[in-house]
Amino acid sequence: MTKNISSNCPYNTAVLFGVLLLTLGLTGCSDSPSDEEPNEMVLQSTLNTKIKSLDPISIRDVASSQVAYQIFETLYQYHFLKRPYEIEPLLAEGMPQISDDNMTYTIKIKKGVLFQDDACFPEGKGRELKSWDFVYAIKRIANIKNLSENWAYLDNKISGLDEFREYTKSCKSEEKIDYSREVEGLQTPDDYTLVIKLTKPWPQLVISTLTNAATSPVAEEAAVFYGKNIISHPVGTGPFKLKKWQKGSYIELVRNPNFRGELYPSEGESSDAEAGYLDDAGKPMPFIDKIVWTFIEESQPAWFLFLQGKLDAKAIPKDNWDEAMTGAGELTPKMKQLNIHLETFIEPSTFWLGFNMEDPVLGKNKPLRRAISYVINREKFIELFFGGRGLVAHGFVAPLLDSYDPDIKRYGYAEYNPEKARELLKEAREINGGDIPELKITLPGTETFYRQMGQLLRRYLNDVGINVEVECMDWPTYQEKVNTKSVQIFSAGVTAGTPDAEDFLAMFYSKKKSPGPNQFNYSNPEYDKLYEKIEVMPASEERIRLYRKMELMVLDDCPAAFMNHRLAYVLRHDWYKNYKPHVFGYGLGKYRRIDMRKRAAYKELLKTVK
Amino acid sequence: MIERKIKKGRSLWQDGLRRLWRRKLVMVCFAVIVLYFLLTGFIYSAELFGWKVGPTQWQESVGKSYEPPGRENIFGTDIFGQSVLRKMLYGTKTSITVALCASLISLLIGVPLGAIAGYFRGFVDEIIVWVYSTLSSIPYILLILAFAVVLHDKSLFGHKLTGITTVYLAIGLTSWVGICRLIRGEVMKHKEREYVLAAKSYGCSNSRIIFKHLLPNVFHLVIIDFSLRFVSFIHAEVILSFLGLGEAERPSWGAMINDARIELSRGVWWQMAAATIAIFLISLALNIFGDALRDSLDPKLRVQ
Repeated sequence: MTKNISSNCPYNTAVLFGVLLLTLGLTGCSDSPSDEEPNEMVLQSTLNTKIKSLDPISIRDVASSQVAYQIFETLYQYHFLKRPYEIEPLLAEGMPQISDDNMTYTIKIKKGVLFQDDACFPEGKGRELKSWDFVYAIKRIANIKNLSENWAYLDNKISGLDEFREYTKSCKSEEKIDYSREVEGLQTPDDYTLVIKLTKPWPQLVISTLTNAATSPVAEEAAVFYGKNIISHPVGTGPFKLKKWQKGSYIELVRNPNFRGELYPSEGESSDAEAGYLDDAGKPMPFIDKIVWTFIEESQPAWFLFLQGKLDAKAIPKDNWDEAMTGAGELTPKMKQLNIHLETFIEPSTFWLGFNMEDPVLGKNKPLRRAISYVINREKFIELFFGGRGLVAHGFVAPLLDSYDPDIKRYGYAEYNPEKARELLKEAREINGGDIPELKITLPGTETFYRQMGQLLRRYLNDVGINVEVECMDWPTYQEKVNTKSVQIFSAGVTAGTPDAEDFLAMFYSKKKSPGPNQFNYSNPEYDKLYEKIEVMPASEERIRLYRKMELMVLDDCPAAFMNHRLAYVLRHDWYKNYKPHVFGYGLGKYRRIDMRKRAAYKELLKTVK
Repeated sequence: MIERKIKKGRSLWQDGLRRLWRRKLVMVCFAVIVLYFLLTGFIYSAELFGWKVGPTQWQESVGKSYEPPGRENIFGTDIFGQSVLRKMLYGTKTSITVALCASLISLLIGVPLGAIAGYFRGFVDEIIVWVYSTLSSIPYILLILAFAVVLHDKSLFGHKLTGITTVYLAIGLTSWVGICRLIRGEVMKHKEREYVLAAKSYGCSNSRIIFKHLLPNVFHLVIIDFSLRFVSFIHAEVILSFLGLGEAERPSWGAMINDARIELSRGVWWQMAAATIAIFLISLALNIFGDALRDSLDPKLRVQ
C-alpha cells in the first residue's frame, strides 16, 4: 500500500523524515525524568503529527504507525536485516500454505502468544492469542459502523466479507452486530489455524495486507470492555504496551512482560556483521525498557535536542545542512567530533507534476503533455530545492521496488529538451486548434517552497511560450480539488509500503479514478487489460516484464511529468545501536539498543566541542 | 479714499505647507515618499508600455543561486539567480498599490459613515457605532487574516480576486473604523457651530450641509489620518504576504522576508536586508512626515 505524501516540500520533508526517522529508529534522550530507575534503557523520541487513535482499524498514517506497530503485531513482517527486503513470519508459525488456484491461504498461528495484561481480561491476565482474534480484527474493519479507511485495502478481496459489510449496514446499533456471523472467506478450523479464501488471486495479500497493523489481532474482550474508548486503550501482543498518553503532547510505552521474547535475527547481509548489526544475534528482544514520544512539530527544536544528545537520531533539516555536512558530502568536523554517524538511503517515493486527463485542453493533447515534461529541468529542480540530494524520476516506479528498471533513463522520458518541446508545441497547437490557453498549476501548500516551485515551473513553461497561472492552497482544499477532478496540472507524490510495484501501477487503472488512486484520471483500455492480468498474477519474471511494459505505456502517454525520488540523510549518535535503515518496517523498537555508558559520556564530550 | 493695507490672511492649508517647508528633515522625508510613488508610477507605465527596464525584468536570471551582494548585483541574487535589487524595487509597486487602494477603500467607507452617524445621530448613529464597535473588538490582524482567507480566490463581479486585490480589499474593509470614529466625533462638534446653523436656516439640504460645509472643515483630519495609516497598511501587506496570503506571483517585500526566514539559517541575509531597508525607509519617512503634517494642520497642536 502506498501512503500519500502531502508534499514534496523539503521543510515538510524534514517533517516526513522526522516521521521516517522514527520508522527507522526510535530516538532517545539522555536526561531521564527523575522518577526513573537509573538503569532503565529509555528511548525518548519525537513525533511531529498528533495521533488521534491507536485502534488498529484507524492506523493508516505514518505517525500513528510509529506507535501502534510497537504494541500490535501482524502475522508477517519484513526481515530487519536482509536485503532485498524479505517477508518472515511474526505471529504466524510459518509462511502460508497457498492452494493451487492461489485463492486459499492456510496460516498456522504461533502457540503460547499472550495478550498483554489488561483490565478487560478475567483477573486482568492476558489470555492466549487465537485465530479468531484475526478474524475479529478483519471483521471490525469491514463493519461499516466503524468507518474504517482501511476498508479500501479489503474491498472486494475476501470471499463473503463484502456481504458482511452489507449486513452491518442493516444493523441498528454497534451492539446488535453479530461478529460470529459466518464469513466464507475467514475460517478458523481450530484455535491455531486461520484460513483466508479470496474472491480472486491477490498476490499482495501477505506482503502488503498481513504485514499491516490494520490486520493485527484484536481481543474481542477489549473492544467490548472499552467500547468507543478503545482508541486510547490498545491491547496487543507486541513487545511494548501503552503506559501513559497525554493527548497531543506525550506517549509512553513500557516493556510488555507477557511478550514471548522474539529473538534478534542472526542472519543478514554480508556487511551486517562488520557494521555491528549482528552483535545481538539470537538474544531475546526487546532490549530497551521504555519508549517515550513527545510531540514537536518544528524541525528546529528537534535538531537542537539532537545536538544536545536528547534525541538519538534526526534527519538533517534542510536549513541546517551546512552545519552538518561539508560540500564534499561528508560530515563536518564538528559532527565527527561528536561521534555522530550519517545514514544515507533511498526512499521508495516518487513525486510528479500530474495532468488531469479529463481536462479538455490537456487530456486529448499528448504533444502538449510531452512538451511540458521536456521543458522541466529536473536536475536543476533537485539542485535548487533539495541541494542536489535526490534522484531524477525517469519513470514512476520508485527505486527499491521489484520492477524498478535501473536503466530506465535510456528512454529519455525525463529529459530536459526545450528544443524538442518547441517542436511538439507546434503539433500541440494544431491539435488544440489555435494557441494553448493559459494553464493552471495547483500546488498543495502556501509556504515558500511551493511559491518558489511555482515560480520555477512558470519560468520553464513561459520559456517555450506556455502561459500558466500558479495557485497555492492548503492540503485539504487541494485534496478536495484533486478528488473532484477540478485541477489541470497538480503536484503530488507517494511512498511505497511494499517492494511490489503493483500499488504504483494501480494509480493508472481506469476503474480507480479520483477520488481513488488514479488522480490523473488516466484511461487506457489496453493498460486496463494488462492491469487486470497482473493484479492476480503471482510474483515472477514474467510479471516484472509486464510491470515494465505497463510503466512504459504510461510514460509514453505522459499523464504526468515525473519529477524526483527522494534521498534520506539521517544522523544518529554513536550510542544508538542496531540502527539499520529500513524503508518498509515500522515495528523496529524491539531491535534497538542504547549504549548507556556512551550516552552518559556525551555531556562531557559536548563541553569539549565548540 | 484711505488706502488700507490689509494683511491677507492665509488659509489653513497655505499656513500648514509653509510650516512644513521650513523643516528640512520633513522635506527630505517628503522627497523619499514622492520617490516611492514615482517608482510605482514608473513601474506601472513600464508594464503598460512594455519598456524593458530593471524592475519589470525581475524574472530574468542575472547570476547563480544565492550570489552574495557585489559590484554586479548590489543586493545579491535569490534562489533562482534573480536580482534581489530588482525584486525590492518591484516590491515597492506592490506595497504602494496595496496601501493606496486600501486607504481609499477605508476612507470611502469610513468618512461618509462617520459623517452620517455624527450628523444624524439617533438610530442611524447607533447602528453605525454598533458595527464599528463590533469590528474593533476583534484583534486587527486576526480580522484582516479572516477577511483575506475568506476573499482568497473568490470571485467578485465576475473578476477573480487574486493576490494583491485580496490583500487591499481585506485591509480596506477592516480598517475604516479609526477614521469613521474620528470624523463622527468631529462632525458632532461642528454640527452646533454657527456656520452649520446658518446653512440650516437657509434651508440647505442635509447632504449639502454634510458634503459642502462639514466635510471640508474636517478634511484635514482625513489627510493626517491617511498619512499615518498608510504605514500600517504597508505593514499589513507585508504581514499578509509573509503569511502566504498575499501576492504569490510577483515580488513583494513580505514574500521576500518569508523566503529569507529560511535562507537566513544558511547565511543568506541579503534578501532580508533589502526588504527590510525598503520597508524601513518608507515607514520612517511616512511617520515623520505624518507627524509633521499633523503638527502643522491640526489647529489644536499649533504652536507659534
